[in-house]
Amino acid sequence: MGAVLVAGIQILPVVASREAEIEDAAFVLLTVLSVPVLMFVVVGLAYSAIRFRANGDEEDGPPIHGHRGFQAIWLVVSFALVIGLFVYGALGLVDIRGAQESEFQVQVQAEQWAWKFEYPSGVVAKELHIPVGERVHLVVTSKDVIHSFWVPAFGIKQDAVPGRPTQIYVTATVAGTYPGLCAELCGSGHTGMHLTVVVSERAELDAWLSDQPGPESSGSEPPA
Amino acid sequence: MSVRRPGLRRALLGAAIGGAVGAGVLIGAQNAGMQIRDGQILGLAYLLALIGFLLGIGAFRFWVTWAAGRPVDVTEEHAAHGTAGDWRRYFRFTTDHKVIGVQYLVSAFLLFLTAGTFGMLMRVELAQPGLALGEDAYNTIMSTHGAMMITVALISIIGGLGNFLVPIMIGARDMAFPKTNALSYWLLPLPILLVAINPLLGGFDTGWTAYPPLSQQANLGQQAYLMAFVTVGISSILSAINFLVTVFRMRAPGMSLMRMPIFVWSLTVTATLALVATSVVAGAFTMLLFDRVLGTSFFRPSRGGDVVLFEHLFWFYSHPAVYIMGLPGLGAILEVVPVFARKPLFAYPLAVLSFIAIGVLSFMVWAHHMFVSGMADFFHIPIMLTTELISVPTGIVFLAALGTIWMGKLHFKTPMLWVFGFIWAFLIGGITGVYLADVPTDITLSDTYFVVAHFHYTIVGGTIFGLFAGTYYWFPKVTGRMYSERLGQLHFWWFMLAFNATFLPMFWLGIEGMRRRVADYPSEMGGVNLWVSFAAFNIFLSMAVFVFNMVRSWRRGEQAAANPWRAKTLEWQVASPPPVQNFDHIPTVSAGPYEYGGGAGVPTEGRAVP
Amino acid sequence: MSVHAGAVPGTPHEGHMGFGEEDPAAGRSNMLLGVKLGILSEVMLFGALFAAYFVIRSESGGWPPEGQDRPELLLPGLNTLLLVSSSVTMQWAVRAIGRGELTAMRWGLRATLLLGSIFILIQGYEFANNGFGLDAGVFGSTFYTLTGFHGAHVLAGLAFISIVVTRARHGLISAEHHTSVEAASYYWHFVDVVWLFLFSTLYVL
Repeated sequence: MGAVLVAGIQILPVVASREAEIEDAAFVLLTVLSVPVLMFVVVGLAYSAIRFRANGDEEDGPPIHGHRGFQAIWLVVSFALVIGLFVYGALGLVDIRGAQESEFQVQVQAEQWAWKFEYPSGVVAKELHIPVGERVHLVVTSKDVIHSFWVPAFGIKQDAVPGRPTQIYVTATVAGTYPGLCAELCGSGHTGMHLTVVVSERAELDAWLSDQPGPESSGSEPPA
Repeated sequence: MSVRRPGLRRALLGAAIGGAVGAGVLIGAQNAGMQIRDGQILGLAYLLALIGFLLGIGAFRFWVTWAAGRPVDVTEEHAAHGTAGDWRRYFRFTTDHKVIGVQYLVSAFLLFLTAGTFGMLMRVELAQPGLALGEDAYNTIMSTHGAMMITVALISIIGGLGNFLVPIMIGARDMAFPKTNALSYWLLPLPILLVAINPLLGGFDTGWTAYPPLSQQANLGQQAYLMAFVTVGISSILSAINFLVTVFRMRAPGMSLMRMPIFVWSLTVTATLALVATSVVAGAFTMLLFDRVLGTSFFRPSRGGDVVLFEHLFWFYSHPAVYIMGLPGLGAILEVVPVFARKPLFAYPLAVLSFIAIGVLSFMVWAHHMFVSGMADFFHIPIMLTTELISVPTGIVFLAALGTIWMGKLHFKTPMLWVFGFIWAFLIGGITGVYLADVPTDITLSDTYFVVAHFHYTIVGGTIFGLFAGTYYWFPKVTGRMYSERLGQLHFWWFMLAFNATFLPMFWLGIEGMRRRVADYPSEMGGVNLWVSFAAFNIFLSMAVFVFNMVRSWRRGEQAAANPWRAKTLEWQVASPPPVQNFDHIPTVSAGPYEYGGGAGVPTEGRAVP
Repeated sequence: MSVHAGAVPGTPHEGHMGFGEEDPAAGRSNMLLGVKLGILSEVMLFGALFAAYFVIRSESGGWPPEGQDRPELLLPGLNTLLLVSSSVTMQWAVRAIGRGELTAMRWGLRATLLLGSIFILIQGYEFANNGFGLDAGVFGSTFYTLTGFHGAHVLAGLAFISIVVTRARHGLISAEHHTSVEAASYYWHFVDVVWLFLFSTLYVL
């Protein structure tokens, strides 16, 4: 699929993952398609409001009940648009889900009202650190109520459901620090339930991991 | 009105006694050492209060007489129908559909204003970054705002305008089951009151969606909401049965289904949805109540329950529910356009088909509310298809409206202004719906202010604009007086501008990452949020113009003629307001309802059946 | 208020006066349509409960879960026979009154009431001796919620049939006027069919 930049337009504020690139392209496409639809109706309405104003004329308008041809065109065009959008969306979704395999898995645990991340080496931390350019697998669970794990810059969001782990696969493309948020109302601490994601090169990531307190960590590899 | 006769005073007494007995019995049991939960006390108290209320208002007396095999008291039955001019009939168990319609309409508007007040409180919190009222208070206020507004959207048009007008529009003397109709209305005051006082019971912080496990944890206010919703659901189902039997069995001679006004069609599809879907959410809420109050584990993962199951059951109803809310508005809009464009409704048969298609499809899209819920991946694809497909019949509504307007003779009276406003607002709502239907874009947008803006544009744009169009349009028919056209225009423009100023920026807020259901946000968004709060306050103020216009015009407005809009549907062929029996003679219909432009007109009443 | 010559669809049902324009036949048929629609709504309610049962059951490791036993089939089996027979007696009553045989109808209704009441008693006995309660995890939750809702519907049906018996005693039922008997029979058969589903899915399969 790849990224489609129309005249350099980007709609999402931050695009820092492969998935977000696909999604931003979808945003741009939908917006490009919406504009003519909006114009058609708005211009039609505005024109009608002026041109067909009664202005004291008490006569009825012409007894037109419909127009087979116009109705048919309308139906065909709207149906074609819908099917086209569906195909594009379905392909986009498959692309976003992508390869369901990765060598870096983190357990994400939500609870009222904080996030915990457990790394392959057993380290448990409050920040999510992931390698840039590599496919990452997040397994999301909740200890209590439904939360939702959302990192806007990566275009990933998935509910944290008690009793049922959910999966996210993501490939971050730009190193940096990004905010994350809980995106499902979870009680009186929902507003402040934030998290931080740090995307860095593997070496930096390994160094950070070995600095973390917890089980002996020899980097981000799972214990032999 | 003493308490010896059935009436509102006796109803309130009955509610108080029932509630006291229910609470008393269980509190007594608790004191005697039995394990009784607070929720069980609230539950029994509410149930008995509701029964006491209905007994007091006299809802059951005819059925009790019937059940006991006693002869029908004809005087009593006639009296229950109410006498014209007697204002007290609005506060009694009155079986005249026109009275019930006004009861629904006035109650709905009062609830709308109350819900709007809660909305204003939300905007007070959100006007600036930081916490003003606090997160707990905000969550309850937000949830209550939602619960009340949804109730308004569900009942205002079909219960208010529908009840008053549908029998007349199809040439009948009343609904099929007038007593059940009155029962449907009187089932509402207590649950509405319960939702209004839920903050006193500890509030509820889950939003109207009530997802467990949060809703299992939440305070008693949660239970109040759940019980109230189930009660409103029962009222809704009874209403739906009434509408369907009335429309299918009681049309005047000559009124074939394809000669029915489009408004009646929209309510017929609405009633079908309400009949079929409501029990599912009643089941879901009952299971949730049982989890809270009786120790079951439907939605407790640790004991084998499934949390996502609730979401499926909830949305299986709640998606059709948005069409239960929207279709009556769409019907009202399409009913008004031909009259003020002086032209037949464009593509009427296609519009009817589209309403039916929307109804059918509405049962197949529910999981688009669950794209990020963790549900099975394969399910996203068919749901995305059906959701996108539903925009085709919905688009036909625009075809019908625009096709009627095009080449018409447009009279911009207040009802027509709301039609134009609807076309803009519902279009924005519809287009933004595509962003939410498309899973790649929905991943970012779900649970943000984009969604909030989308559903306000569709529900306010569809239901509320339709409600206003219909209320202004039918005001002379219902009250016998004309509203002030100048105040109507002022209300429209103020509301329209304020509404757009409030909700349009929210699309941007959502894309920028502001979540919904939060009491605070990043400070960079403070400016926009302050603007939104200011604009929202204007919505509220504009409603003062509406209320003033309605009240003053009803009391002292200019007398209205039978047919001030020169419309062709049956309700305009009788006096304003209609006589108690609706028609002196049931008319015979020989043409469709929109024969403007020199086509055959609907004959006035007085033609006898050969 | 003028009386209109010729038949006009109206609201009235058994003995209820409208506005001088009466079409009792239409009124009765409206009532029966209303009852059928109401039953449709109830079907959806049980649909939701069954859906919950199937989903929960398919997600649990084994069924019944560890340490729980399904109830024995003897009593529910007997109950199935009772309810099916009660539908037969109910239908017999409807046929009878259609032919104007009032006494036969009354016996049919009484038999239905008796069979239905025994059903309730046996269910109560079974519940008391099941060994698990509503709060026994999802097994108890689904079992008792489904059977409980069904039982409540049976009780409502028995109440309705008793009312019909009362009205018959007051001479208000005849070959021409027996909408309430038909309505009760629709409801009762619905309750029976729900039980058949319940029996197969909760007890047998």
